[in-house]
Amino acid sequence: MSDRAIAYNEDIVKKFVVASMFWGVVAFLVGVVLAAQLTWPALNLGLPFTNFGRLRPVHTSAAIFAFGGCALFGTSFHIVQRTCRARLFGGEALANFIFWGYQFFIVMAALSYVMGFSQGQEYAEPEWHLDLFLTLIWVLYAVVFIGTVMLREEPHIYVANWFFMAFILTVAVLHLCNNIAMPVSLYTAKSYNIAAGVQNAMIQWWYGHNAVGFFLTAGFLGMMYYFIPKAADRPVYSYRISIVHFWSLVFMYIWAGPHHLHWTALPDWTQTLGMAFSIMLWMPSWGGMINGIMTLSGAWDKLRTDPGLRFSVTAVGFYGMATFEGPVMSIRAVNALSHYTDWGIGHVHSGALGWVAFITFGAFYYLVPVLWKRERLYSTRLVSWHYWIATLGIVFYIAAMWVAGIMQGLMWRAYDNHGFLQYAFVESVAAVHPYYVIRLLGGLLFLSGMLIMVYNLIQTVRDPATARRGEAGGDLAMAKA
Amino acid sequence: MLIRHETIEKNSILLLVLTLLTISVGGLVEVVPLFTIETTVEHVRGVRPYSPLESRGRDIYIREGCYTCHSQQVRALRDEVERYGHYSIAAESMYDHPFQWGSKRIGPDLARVGGKYSNDWHIAHMADPRSVVPESLMPRYAFLAANRLDTGDLTARLKAQKAVGVPYTDEQLAAAAADLRTQADPAADNTALLKRYPKAVTVPGGGPFVTELDALVAYLQVLGTMVDFADPANENLRQ
Amino acid sequence: MGIATGDVFVGVMTAVLGLIGLILASGAMDDGIYVFGLSLTGFAAVFVAGLIRSHYDRREKLRAEGWRHV
Repeated sequence: MSDRAIAYNEDIVKKFVVASMFWGVVAFLVGVVLAAQLTWPALNLGLPFTNFGRLRPVHTSAAIFAFGGCALFGTSFHIVQRTCRARLFGGEALANFIFWGYQFFIVMAALSYVMGFSQGQEYAEPEWHLDLFLTLIWVLYAVVFIGTVMLREEPHIYVANWFFMAFILTVAVLHLCNNIAMPVSLYTAKSYNIAAGVQNAMIQWWYGHNAVGFFLTAGFLGMMYYFIPKAADRPVYSYRISIVHFWSLVFMYIWAGPHHLHWTALPDWTQTLGMAFSIMLWMPSWGGMINGIMTLSGAWDKLRTDPGLRFSVTAVGFYGMATFEGPVMSIRAVNALSHYTDWGIGHVHSGALGWVAFITFGAFYYLVPVLWKRERLYSTRLVSWHYWIATLGIVFYIAAMWVAGIMQGLMWRAYDNHGFLQYAFVESVAAVHPYYVIRLLGGLLFLSGMLIMVYNLIQTVRDPATARRGEAGGDLAMAKA
Repeated sequence: MLIRHETIEKNSILLLVLTLLTISVGGLVEVVPLFTIETTVEHVRGVRPYSPLESRGRDIYIREGCYTCHSQQVRALRDEVERYGHYSIAAESMYDHPFQWGSKRIGPDLARVGGKYSNDWHIAHMADPRSVVPESLMPRYAFLAANRLDTGDLTARLKAQKAVGVPYTDEQLAAAAADLRTQADPAADNTALLKRYPKAVTVPGGGPFVTELDALVAYLQVLGTMVDFADPANENLRQ
Repeated sequence: MGIATGDVFVGVMTAVLGLIGLILASGAMDDGIYVFGLSLTGFAAVFVAGLIRSHYDRREKLRAEGWRHV
């Protein structure tokens, strides 16, 4: 695709890429701190704003909404302009407002958690005033994105954009429905959700699981459908699979929430529906995985020469693994063992680190030289180092959590010869300590890999050696950005 | 099918509308009946709104993110029922805005922690969890005992909960401040308090002011105690 | 050169947000709203200043390129 004629707004994409890298470091760093706190509780320090309970939402929000969110904003703005051959709708000021407004939201949300303001619902912790502010940002995002799609010169809307549109629309619906709350007063950052108990639980996990389904899956699938074909220089493997993949994923994901509530006071019929759709979801997920990986057919050799692409493909592999593990865990009999244990934490991280972070890394290794107009990355060796360190980190992390989680589950339900419960709860806490140390090590490895990436990308932008041929010395004005 | 799909992917509005319809089905089918099917929440005796002190304690429970490590939901599984007590029923959290069922047990379930330990145990445990449970991973919450409980907007908080469906009576709202003080003062006459909030546990208090710790302990002590499962009127709980 | 429509829209919206921030901060009954309100006002002020700056930067650039009546 030639993109010479149109002056794309690349400045906004650059900003989001930089922000995403920054928040990635923050998210992983806080994650490492939390892992250390769970290993040596004295590290909580006993201060209100350093205790685990207040820091944990900082980690999850930084990873999902700051790191993942900025990556989605940035790549979606890049992709929608290129695939529609249209400049971003709404002008620079609006795009900049979305960027800075979103950064403001992230900082305010993190600050509010450590100050002790939380709605007490996972991944929906920001209080009502922040929710309203985020709604404004999101509406503007939708306007800019859909506006650009409408300006397109190509008659067809590219498949990546279907996923981005579904992501933007569904996240809006989820956010609005889950956060309806009554503030104590207009001047108080404390509210009570309109729903209570079992209904609140259902709405929360309808929200929570589709934060995974649409924020962390559909959005990042949009990335997959653009960057893998781009980096491999091949068309998407199957157009038909894309269509089936899209509609079945969008239809089925939304049902899967109740698998977070197996064996609870949620009515059985709802649990059964949630389980059935979670298992069915395996199929569209793997359809998408096949579509992503098979796009490389005929270009497998690129995996040797392009380590960025290696990240993308490994990400799709992890996606396949996590979307197989998920349906297994949603089976009620398995869930009886796995729920409330570290298995869940391991599952989330194989998705978050293996899929979300890796597909983002792959996209950024491709995108940074394109955006900053460099001939190549500063060092492909460093990309390889990043790849192996991060992969090892994930393996340490999830393997430790599998063992710890299954051990917890088994210890909680173990009976002795006399028919009494064999272990006190606290024995299961003591037993997982070694695995928490391994998890911490895995997290440290992943963070180190990220720091290597940051260094590599900064050098790519700065080092004259990466300048495009014929532009010796590089564009120093760019280097400052 | 593919020919027809072309019309969808050439029309952004059509694509959006169809996507919206597609995602609506699952949510509507799973969520709406929970509000309309009457057996979703059981009719049992004993579940009442939280007393003012308990409610403030609940706010602190949420503020400190206790739900990130503790669940409040005993699942209907044999080992859980033996470990924690009767499995949780929907009615027990019908006034919980928001619900605090949790998703991870770094520490044990708290759905039935009320009455399991003495007030003194909780106070010592919050000051330094490892003084009573050496293997514990819990952070110290010693600062709660030093913090004065902010009661300035107590009635506003209860009224906000009333607005979303917690049936606080006018009498309860009028007596909120007094009830809060009474529950943190073992010397006070708590007859009226217990009439308004049966089974409310009086906490030691004793300082110059009611602390955040007093409120949190009062909340923990009522968890899971409201419904008397030995009462024959409370049989046949499962739908 | 006039002011771009997008700039006006975003500028007015941001100014309104800044005003809301001030109102929230002035009536705040807890630290959460107080910090949020003040920060929102600060954010709005800085953002609008940035809008104005970029407007003049653009104009100067055009002048330097030889456009007279901008």
